[in-house]
Amino acid sequence: MNTPSATPSAPRGPENTANSRTKNQVAAHPITSAAIFVLVAAAILCTLIVPIYARITPKIGDFPFFYFYLLIYMPAVSIALGVAALLQRRLAPPADDGRSGGEAEVAP
Amino acid sequence: MTNVNAVVFTIVLVLFVIVTVVGFGASRWRRPPVMAHLNEWGLAGRGFGTFITWFLLGGDLYTAYTFIAVPALVFGSGSIGFFAVSYSIMAFPVAFIFLPRLWSICRVHNWVTPGDFIRGRYGSRGLALAMAFTGILSLMPYIALQLVGINAVLTVMGVGTSSTNTYVKDLPLFIAFVVLAIFTYVSGLRAPAAIAFIKDTLIYVFVLVAVFYIPTRLGGWGHIFGVAQTHLAAINPATKAPNGTFIPTSKSIGSTQFDFASLALGSAMALFLYPHVITGTLAAKRRRIINRNLALLPAYSVLLCLIALFGYMAIADPVTAANVKKAGNTQLAVPYLFQHMFPSWFTGIAFAGIVIGALVPAAIMAIAAANLFTRNIFKEFFKPDASPALETRMSQWASLVVKFGALLFAVELPHTFAINLQLLGGVWIMQVGPMLVGGLYTRWFHRWALLTGWAAGMIYGTIAAYNVKNATASHWASSSDIVFGHSVYIGFTAIIINIVIAVVLTLILRATKVPEGTDETLPHQYTADPEQAPAPVPAGVGARLDG
Repeated sequence: MNTPSATPSAPRGPENTANSRTKNQVAAHPITSAAIFVLVAAAILCTLIVPIYARITPKIGDFPFFYFYLLIYMPAVSIALGVAALLQRRLAPPADDGRSGGEAEVAP
Repeated sequence: MTNVNAVVFTIVLVLFVIVTVVGFGASRWRRPPVMAHLNEWGLAGRGFGTFITWFLLGGDLYTAYTFIAVPALVFGSGSIGFFAVSYSIMAFPVAFIFLPRLWSICRVHNWVTPGDFIRGRYGSRGLALAMAFTGILSLMPYIALQLVGINAVLTVMGVGTSSTNTYVKDLPLFIAFVVLAIFTYVSGLRAPAAIAFIKDTLIYVFVLVAVFYIPTRLGGWGHIFGVAQTHLAAINPATKAPNGTFIPTSKSIGSTQFDFASLALGSAMALFLYPHVITGTLAAKRRRIINRNLALLPAYSVLLCLIALFGYMAIADPVTAANVKKAGNTQLAVPYLFQHMFPSWFTGIAFAGIVIGALVPAAIMAIAAANLFTRNIFKEFFKPDASPALETRMSQWASLVVKFGALLFAVELPHTFAINLQLLGGVWIMQVGPMLVGGLYTRWFHRWALLTGWAAGMIYGTIAAYNVKNATASHWASSSDIVFGHSVYIGFTAIIINIVIAVVLTLILRATKVPEGTDETLPHQYTADPEQAPAPVPAGVGARLDG
């Protein structure tokens, strides 16, 4: 039961090339990779480090800074992750990715 | 039934009937040739695009209980309640790191549950059982809490008979739940996906209207924040401490900043480990849909931030504050606020939104728990040769059992117990992090080390949560504990213990060359994006694996 569904039929070759290709892509686009990392890390850290925004002033309109920060932070994260998603597609073109995926190996 | 507002009741009833019809009709939506397959019943054909996935995951993450509990916490304790906002922001970048990989590997291997992945990655039935056990254990109180959410609305509506028998008193709740259980049984994941459209439309409408309208009735945002600040700083005669904090403090009152950050980070890490969220993810058609949705889903967090502010509106409205105080239940803050602020027809829409908002996640959670049971317990240990059709039938029945279990839970046990268990649920589900997220990146961890670390985290988390006391409760007082002079989320401490044990034992087990189990996955499969689900229906998961 539960014999591996992919391993037996999977040729060893594509694994190695695909794997090294993924690595090469990160190496080939160091700036893009770094940008993705910075965007994701910044999105987490800017809300994790509470002292940045745990203050009442300056008030924006009637909103104390703490509440205003949380409110506008979400669109900011949205944009950051959207850009990261776009950059990721540059790292691994989707069409190429699909072909190198498990499809060929596991198709019955 | 006393004091029931006919308009409110009618609107809630009509919307509920519409949802029921949609729920049953969903079985005909994107109808596959064969429905009796877990890919169909449990994952709706794995074919959802960006739009539907957005509604499904949104319906999954922001539950009725969120709409009730977050403002209740803000009403009761102030800014610490906003950790939920911070965490729901943080959850998306955290998920961005590992969720697409989980999607790819499960797509390639046609896996339905996170337990399937653990089973395939580590070749360990025991570890997969630990995953399934933790998943089901943390989902049960979560479903029960959805009922608590419905109950808060029904209480304020005045629905429910005055009988002393709990079962008669909660009859409306029972009816709502039976309907939910049946349409989930029939339509599977298609039902909550279809209903999520209605739910989110209602919720977006009532939240946006409330946010612009209520402040005009209460003298503007400046006044609302002002009253909240004064109220939270006032000394509570019972506890001899301030009512709460308006801004997380770093000073002598106890640093709430560290508490705030660790609660937020811990909950964010736990969020996408919950099996029902993974179920919603695996139903997506392509890998990029996951990434795109993680960028689009924060729109819901804006909503959550606005919902949290309802807590301050409730403080600023003397009538609501008095009502809540009289009922002695902060969870009624939002329902009372709406009831006092809005004309009855609009209150009806808002209440219906909350009730339907409970049904969507409850259905997905029941499906996720049922799939875990079927795939990683029933098939693994009792019926290895189960056909896809039998698996589906098993899951359908398991979803019913899970729902009625949760119903008993909600009716029989005190509500505070369900809330404590849900807090514990977060602590518990975090403990599968090292095996699940760790496994997506590395095969370095040894399966037995992960199992031991998991057990240690579970035990520590449970005992630590039990032992927390405060001025008014001797146990289960909160989900934070004092570690090295800081107030820290228990789940956070538990996960660190878990990881340390897993690392140390892995080093030992590797040095002594204990068998590691076979790994079914290949490195490139973690980034694969197959267009078609690998095994077309009806040649299915079970059949092929057993062949």
